[in-house]
Amino acid sequence: MLKQTLSAEWLKLRRLRIWIVLLALPVASVLIGSANYAMNQGVLQKEWYSLWTQVGLFYSEFFFPVLIAICCAALCRLEHMNKNWNMIMTAPVSVASIYYAKMVICAVLLLLVQFFFFLLYIAAGHLLGLPAQFSSEVIGWMVRGWIASLSIAALQFSLSLVIRSFALPIGIGLCAAFAGLGMYVAKLGMFFPHSLLSIGMGVLGQGGLSPHQQFIWVLMNLLYFIILSIYSIRRMSQRDVIA
Amino acid sequence: MIQLLSLEFYKIRRKRLFLMATLFLGVELAGAFMAVSMSLARHPDQEEWMPLLATLSSMNGLFLPILSAVCVSRISDMEHKGNTWKLLLSVSVRRGQLYLAKYICACVILLGVSLLQIAAAAAFGIGKGLWESFPLGLMVQFMAGTLLTNMVIIALQQWLSLAVKNQAFALCLGMLGGFFGMTGDFFPQAVRQYFIWSNYNGLSPVRQSYVDNAIQFTAIDGGALLPQASILVVLGVVIYIAGSRHISRQDI
Repeated sequence: MLKQTLSAEWLKLRRLRIWIVLLALPVASVLIGSANYAMNQGVLQKEWYSLWTQVGLFYSEFFFPVLIAICCAALCRLEHMNKNWNMIMTAPVSVASIYYAKMVICAVLLLLVQFFFFLLYIAAGHLLGLPAQFSSEVIGWMVRGWIASLSIAALQFSLSLVIRSFALPIGIGLCAAFAGLGMYVAKLGMFFPHSLLSIGMGVLGQGGLSPHQQFIWVLMNLLYFIILSIYSIRRMSQRDVIA
Repeated sequence: MIQLLSLEFYKIRRKRLFLMATLFLGVELAGAFMAVSMSLARHPDQEEWMPLLATLSSMNGLFLPILSAVCVSRISDMEHKGNTWKLLLSVSVRRGQLYLAKYICACVILLGVSLLQIAAAAAFGIGKGLWESFPLGLMVQFMAGTLLTNMVIIALQQWLSLAVKNQAFALCLGMLGGFFGMTGDFFPQAVRQYFIWSNYNGLSPVRQSYVDNAIQFTAIDGGALLPQASILVVLGVVIYIAGSRHISRQDI
């Protein structure tokens, strides 16, 4: 059943041209971050680490959360048009498989974005003349960023599946990104999906997480993902759709 | 025209657009007031209104392009979603008029946001005991710069939101605009003047600069900003006319 819904989601995504947005935002953050690094090399002397703080700061605090929101809203957009909710809810597939198909597609797209951002970061480093060997920690930050992005995606889906407007969940997502920054500064980062992304991508603090903190970080992501997914699926199953 | 405009407001009456904009503004103001309070605690000798206006200008560069994108997208997307273009044009309304009505509607919402922002900034300053040094001239200048930049950005966003059905592109532009609005000062002047989003800072009546590792605030005379404002007005008119003509000739 999931396979059928997955192929349907791919089909719906085909002409959406979402890839333009998915590529544009990481390019913008890497360009500005690299330019800032190049202009301040006197102060930023930790080579790959310093470049990471510059390119990753805007990306993880600002662009990536909104990109996740855009991705989720785009995946729900077609259902909110032309009474398509009626059609999809009467299809012989379970509500959970509809939800998880959207989530899987979103996860794949976000993984591709992370990989593209990683490639851009490496290319920028080489163009700026940094040594060939970069820190392997970056791969860990990328993977953690992707895991945290799934929690944010679960939150965004819980909004985009209900709110018919395309823009409103994205606006809420942006406000949540700033709230997440505030939570991180207030040392409450483990309790909010957007600050889990900040912690995971290690842009604001590269001290690394202790095994205990890592366990809590994974647990919190898992909790957010499960709770929000259950909420969304239950809501879709129990409430009448507004087509 | 008045009828069209009132129809636009009628259509968005249940969209809680102003409430959403106010909440969005609330997030911005919370961040700005927190930053200013911390700055004043560290440097009690600073001229108190200037840090507030400078912080609000730079925060506007980030928030208002995105808020404009969201508001314009919601006003435009309802026609795409409901397939109401044909319906609207069948009541013999010129598309140019419809475009203008939507533009004014978005401008009025953003005007409301700017008024709220000024009121909140004034209340914050007065709350800090700064009633006597209230800088009315700077406030008016700040408001004028913000409104002018808003109007140009709305023109660009409306063009994209109405031309392309998929609102992801319009919101992506809003995001990039917010990004350029915030980082505009890093670019050279020759490049910066073409980034319309950087004018929140560019037309701000207060400039901040770093001298010997300390921030200094300088008030800018309104006359000195007139050339930049004139370029922006011309850009805005060009974008609006181009957008209106393009949408009027587009096939439905």
